[in-house]
Amino acid sequence: MTDEGGKNQGMKVMGILDIQNTPCARESILHGAGGSLVAGLVHFLATSRVKRSFDVGVAGFMLTTLGSWFYCRFNNAKLRVQQRMIQDGIKNKVIYEGTNLDPTQKKTGDQ
Amino acid sequence: MAHPTQLGFQDAASPVMEELLHFHDHALMIVFLISTLVLYIIIAMVSTKLTNKYILDSQEIEIVWTILPAVILVLIALPSLRILYLMDEINDPHLTIKAMGHQWYWSYEYTDYENLGFDSYMVPTQDLAPGQFRLLETDHRMVVPMESPVRILVSAEDVLHSWAVPSLGVKMDAVPGRLNQTAFIASRPGVFYGQCSEICGANHSFMPIVVEAVPLEHFENWSSLMLEDA
Repeated sequence: MTDEGGKNQGMKVMGILDIQNTPCARESILHGAGGSLVAGLVHFLATSRVKRSFDVGVAGFMLTTLGSWFYCRFNNAKLRVQQRMIQDGIKNKVIYEGTNLDPTQKKTGDQ
Repeated sequence: MAHPTQLGFQDAASPVMEELLHFHDHALMIVFLISTLVLYIIIAMVSTKLTNKYILDSQEIEIVWTILPAVILVLIALPSLRILYLMDEINDPHLTIKAMGHQWYWSYEYTDYENLGFDSYMVPTQDLAPGQFRLLETDHRMVVPMESPVRILVSAEDVLHSWAVPSLGVKMDAVPGRLNQTAFIASRPGVFYGQCSEICGANHSFMPIVVEAVPLEHFENWSSLMLEDA
């Protein structure tokens, strides 16, 4: 069975989240795991309460994953907008070069 | 196009579908986190030895589990509404095509410049050439120029149908006596498949939609050829 565009069959966490093919997912989960470990460990070292440390670890996982996810997706969205603007700019430059609609020509014309 | 055992969306072929994919990733991540939390709480509840039969109220947790879901819903609603309004934008289409649903085929009319119209019937399984897709191929494809906004006016001649192409992020009901409008931009050349998405009788599953996005000069050549053949 061939996959679309040569994509690998991604690893699905909990059967739903495709980490490999979803942008920012892998980084967010890894940051979440790290944050969970740190939060749980620090709490345990401070209080020696095992169960509560696990709770803090899970809360840390959720908050770190969410924070990392939003930050990465926001930057990703900005990059996509820039990419689209650059693509349109290249296309317009190719189409309008040498005509009176050429944006570079307008700037030199104003001087 | 779809492949066997596929669970997720097809690759996006239009900017709107790209945005929908991104929103889906966003919503799925939130769903994943909620599921993780619920699973953890279930395991904690099942494995605890603590029991307290005298809890009457608990203001703090009630406040948390009221405000937190509200915040989560706002985080989902804002991008959702953004895409909803994005999908309703019709930005000066370069081409208008009428897609009419019949029992059981689609017909397309390109009437901007000349009167070009043709029917699009499914290719029966026994007539498929090697490499063609069963129940998806048609004898005539709807050809559109790539990277150009295209408006589709969808209606039906008999019963309800629905014109849908998943990779373009388009689905619009074809209602007899009503003209529905949708639009898309095919960001890359290719062949995009869809199927009728409203039950319309015995052969509802056998009236597919095929959209072929080509560079503008190829589109012009194709339309000239089609007019000559008509």
